[in-house]
Formats: sequence, C-alpha cells, structure tokens
Amino acid sequence: MNKLSLQSFKNKPAKASKTNPNFIKVGLSTCGIAAGADTVFDILKNELAKKEFDLPVLRSGCAGMCYAEPLVEVNIEGMPRVLYGKVTEEIALKIVRKHILGKQILNDYIFSIKDE
Amino acid sequence: MWEYRKLILVKDTNTGKETSGIADKFMFGIRERALEEKVEVIRAASLEIYNQGVVVKILPDNITYANVTKDDIDLIIHRTIEKGEKIEALLYQKTEKQCRVVLRNCGVIDPENIEDYLARDGYAALAKILSDYSPEDVIEQMKESGLRGRGGGGFPTWMKWNFAKAQKEVVKYIICNADEGDPGAYMDRSILEGDPHSVLEGMIIAGYAVGAQKGYLYIRAEYPLAIERVMLALQQARDKGLLGKNILGTDFTFDLDVRLGAGAFVCGEETALIASIEGKRGCPSPRPPYPSVNGLWGKPTVINNVETLANIAPILLKGGKWFASIGTEKSKGTKVFALTGKVSNSSLIEVPMGTTLREIVYNIGGGVLNNRKIKAVQTGGPSGGVIPEHLLDTSIDYENLQKLGSIMGSGGMIVMDEDDCMVDIAKFYLQFCVDESCGKCAPCRVGGKQMLNILTTISEGKGAMEDVARLKRISRAMQKASLCGLGQTAPNPVVSTLNYFEQEYLEHIQNKRCLAQKCSSLFVYEIIQDKCKRCTLCQRNCPVEAIDGNRDIGFTINQDKCIKCGKCFEVCKFEAVAR
Repeated sequence: MNKLSLQSFKNKPAKASKTNPNFIKVGLSTCGIAAGADTVFDILKNELAKKEFDLPVLRSGCAGMCYAEPLVEVNIEGMPRVLYGKVTEEIALKIVRKHILGKQILNDYIFSIKDE
Repeated sequence: MWEYRKLILVKDTNTGKETSGIADKFMFGIRERALEEKVEVIRAASLEIYNQGVVVKILPDNITYANVTKDDIDLIIHRTIEKGEKIEALLYQKTEKQCRVVLRNCGVIDPENIEDYLARDGYAALAKILSDYSPEDVIEQMKESGLRGRGGGGFPTWMKWNFAKAQKEVVKYIICNADEGDPGAYMDRSILEGDPHSVLEGMIIAGYAVGAQKGYLYIRAEYPLAIERVMLALQQARDKGLLGKNILGTDFTFDLDVRLGAGAFVCGEETALIASIEGKRGCPSPRPPYPSVNGLWGKPTVINNVETLANIAPILLKGGKWFASIGTEKSKGTKVFALTGKVSNSSLIEVPMGTTLREIVYNIGGGVLNNRKIKAVQTGGPSGGVIPEHLLDTSIDYENLQKLGSIMGSGGMIVMDEDDCMVDIAKFYLQFCVDESCGKCAPCRVGGKQMLNILTTISEGKGAMEDVARLKRISRAMQKASLCGLGQTAPNPVVSTLNYFEQEYLEHIQNKRCLAQKCSSLFVYEIIQDKCKRCTLCQRNCPVEAIDGNRDIGFTINQDKCIKCGKCFEVCKFEAVAR
C-alpha cells in the first residue's frame, strides 16, 4: 500500500472517479448481527452469485435505526435509494428477486426511502 | 436521474398497522385513471413521521401529505399525480431533529475499509493541521468550538489538552476511554464499530496538539467486534503512513495501541483506567494530581471519551466557529444518545444540544411503546437520575440536566412507562453500583450496601417511615466523602426518584403496595374462578408448574411454588388472572 503524504491531500481530485451507483449495503454492527444481519449478508451474496448478477454487497456500521435491524440498503441506478428493515432470510430473497432483478419496490418493509 | 415510475408511499402513522385500506383505495384510483404504468403505490413500514394520521409521500416530487383521509385520495391523484400541483392544506413539512456530526459516517461507510473513510474527507483534518496549524492553533480552535467531554463530566476538552501541553515532560500520552459500561448505553461501541478511523484521527490530532508520541485505546473486552475493527483500522492507518514515524511525511511521530478492559465499570473512571493500563488493580486514586499533570506512568496524559474524539476531526476541518454554532450557549455541538426502554424505536440518535426530551421521545423515538403513558426518562445511567413526565420539555444540556438532579452522562436514555416502579429502578441501579464498587473507600463500599438493604426492605413491604430519611442521609455522606465519581454519584438514582416520586416510596412503606406491580413481594397472582374458561393456557405456560388443577375442577395457583413471573397474567385471554 502506498503511503500518503500531505501532498496527496492537496492534490485530491475535485471529484473522485465516478463510483458504481449500483450496490447493496448491510448494516453489520453488533446490533445488526444480533438481529441476524450476517445471515442476510450471506444470503444476498449467494443469491446474487447464483443469479450471476454482478452487484457489490457492502458492509456498513450502525445506521442508528436499531429497532429495524437487520437493515439492507438497495441502490439501483434510476430507482430511489431504499432502506429495507427487519429483513429476514425470506425478505432478502424477495429483495433480490423483485427489487434487484425485477425493478419492483417491495411493500411493507421500507423504513426509509429517498430520491437522490 | 429518476427513470423510475412515480411512487406513492402510504403509511398510517397513528396505529402503526396496515394502512387502513387507503393504499388499496389509491391503487383503485390509479387503475381507474389507467395510470398504473406510470404510478406505483407502496405500503411503507415507516416514513419516519409519527402520529400524523395517514401519511402519503410522493416521489420523485418529494411531496409529503399528512392526516390524509379517504376523501382526499381523488384530489391527490387528480391534482398532484396528474397535474403535478401541491395541495397546501395537506402538506407536511418534516423538521429534521437529528444532526449527524459524530455519526456522520456510521452506517454510510464500510468500517473495515480505510478508502471509504478517506473518500469522505477522512484524515483531511489531520493533513490540514500538520501543514497549516501549530499545536497552539489547534487548541485555539478547540477552545472556540466549546467542545466539552462527552463521557459524562462535561469538562472543556481544550482545557484538558492545554494542561497537558503546558507540562515540560518529553513523554506524554493520549488515552481513548472506550470502557463504556452504563446499562443501556452503546454509543461508543457503535462509533468504534461503524467508524473507527474517526476516533483514531481525533487521537492523532490530540497527540499533535499536546506533544504526545503514544496513545492507547482502552476498550472493554466485551466489545469483540469493536476491538477487531479498531485493530484493523490501526493496521490500515499504519500502512498508509497515518500512524508511526513521520506521519504524512512530516516530522510528527505518533503511534497507537489497544488495551483491553476486563469488564470493571470503575475502570471508566480515569485514574482507575490508568491503573488498569499500568497493569495494576483497577482502583481510583484521589485527584489532584490530575492525569493531565501526572497520569499514565507518571507522565502527563489526556483521557478523552470515544465520542469526544470523534468530534475532533470535523471541528478542525470546518472550524471551531462552525461547531459552536450548533447547540446552546454553554453546551456546544451535538450529543449521541442510545434511546432505549419503553420507546417504539430503540435507536442510536444524534441531536443538537438543546433539543427537548419530548422531541426525542416522540418525534425521533416514535413515542412510547404500545401507546402507553410515559412516566419518566432516565439519563446518565447509574450516575444519573430520572426526569419525570412534567419536565420533559426541558432542553438538554449539561447544566439543565444537573439542575434536574440527573446528568448528561455518556448518553444512555431509558424511557419508562407506568409499569416501571421507581423503587425497583433505584434498587436496580444501586445494585449495579454495589456490584461494581472497587471497595477501596468506605463511603461507597459500606454506604452503597446499606442503602441497598434499605431499598430491599422497602420493596418487600417491610420499610419504616424513618427509612426515607436514612436513605437521604447516607446519600449525602456518599456524595460528599466517596473517593471517585462512582461512589459520589451512586446515590443519584435514589435521590432523584425520592425527589420526584416520594409518594411511590410512601405507598410501598405505608400501604405495602406497588402500583406498578413490579415489587413481587407486595402482590400475589390469583385465578378468578368466575372468569376462568379452563382453557389450560396458564397451566401450560407456567415455567415452574405452580398451577394446580384440571379442566374439570378448575385451576388454582400454588403460592408456595409461584415465582411471580407474570406469565399466566400475560397469556390469559379472559382476564381471569388477577394480581
């Protein structure tokens, strides 16, 4: 890994190279894991691999909404950013099948939705 | 870049249940106008708005309507969906109560990847001060920001740094206090797990400001994931040249290490924490000398809490003035709270200082669980106190909470409803402090135990009127004479419950009654034979087989066996179990 220097902060490009707008994020802190987020994380990864759909499944810390753990954030270009809560194994599969592959937002599990 | 269909999100925010058929009516209306290709109706689980009737949010227009009735549906479809107009009478403007400074990255970045942190201005504050600021400038910015310690005491951070900086010693230390032990508090854990680099950056900056070369993160061993992520973050920071010799190519050298706490609450007290790092028994010692003069291994040491340290980078990046613009006159910035107990949304929140407890419980927490009546909010953990319902409109800052007989503490906030008995609560916290007392000084060791004995007799209905005065007397002695913060504040839960709920204590003593039905010695469970339908549900659910009888002869509770767990009371569908 290259060491950073003061210079590397000064020459920071105005906008970092465009990041992939498509990704899923699972809250994996103690609160999420206690609610089963690690299983959800694995299921999402496996299911996407099985469907041969290339979508990064990322990890994040606690988003603060502990009452709704496990939380899964889905970002698909052209669709709003959706935060699904209380995600079970079954809902995780639904997210892949309906939301990601079918571009259809799910009923009943949205805890936050934003258009960005 | 919206290519999606229009969305109508529907949620009944009063009942919390399915949207009373309004979603279906919307769907019907959309189909009637043949708009289903362009518009989609979705039932949301939460729109982060509470007690505003049926709430409808329309995307991508980002219009929110509250208290929508069935009669409004046609109007909304016609005017907003078809014509794109706003209906003023229904509009709801949500005021954002939360303000994320400390939690800016929590839940956003991958905590195990330093690149994510760097992409969000991570270590930019460090680079800025190393190239442009002298240590004096850093302390000046901290002074301007008005940041006060978030561990509970509220001591101005810049003063701690300044004391340590003024010492002539060559060797100095920075310690991060991550020995979070209050029941119901998990702010520090979430920060370390969600954004470890923000804490490391704060420590490195502190090291630069006071002239330290070495720092320690004292994390309790019960936080394995936090430890794992901090260790990983340390390694990544070292690889990037952000820790170790010649940080970022300058001649500033600083390194960090982790020390694990063995689960003793008292080790959160700074002198006990230092003893623990030194390998000694975790007992506090009298101050002064303060750690900033004579701390770890006799050297000047700055000890800051996790949340305090996570505030440093944003302050130096955006300036002390910016930070001081948030909050109240004497308490600047934001505070993270772990909102738990009888609240609908148990959550980790960050609000500007000066927010009221009522706003927190009702607008962020979504109100009391099962729409019950709120009795009090406990803040500050075992060193804090309760704030009764009629004082919920007090705005939160260090001084106001102290005036009410509680403290800011590290940020645990426990909501209590009518089912919580104040004697029981006081007993719980005191028990905690008795267990955690190190035993070094007599006021804490003996006083705590004696107070606990008195509370136990009261909760068993054997209390005497003199007990109240006795509790107050021992409290005063402990507050005045204990060696460290643990003993000095241990009586606080008792003092504050006595202050606001003395009637409840008297009810236990004089009438031998616990109105909240918590003190199990003061009531028995009985089956009301007239109401009993002999369904056997209580008998099947009793964990200790204390319910005798069968379908033919009926059921009775064997009081010798009954442990008063309340299971039968909960499961009975016919209200045939009384207490």
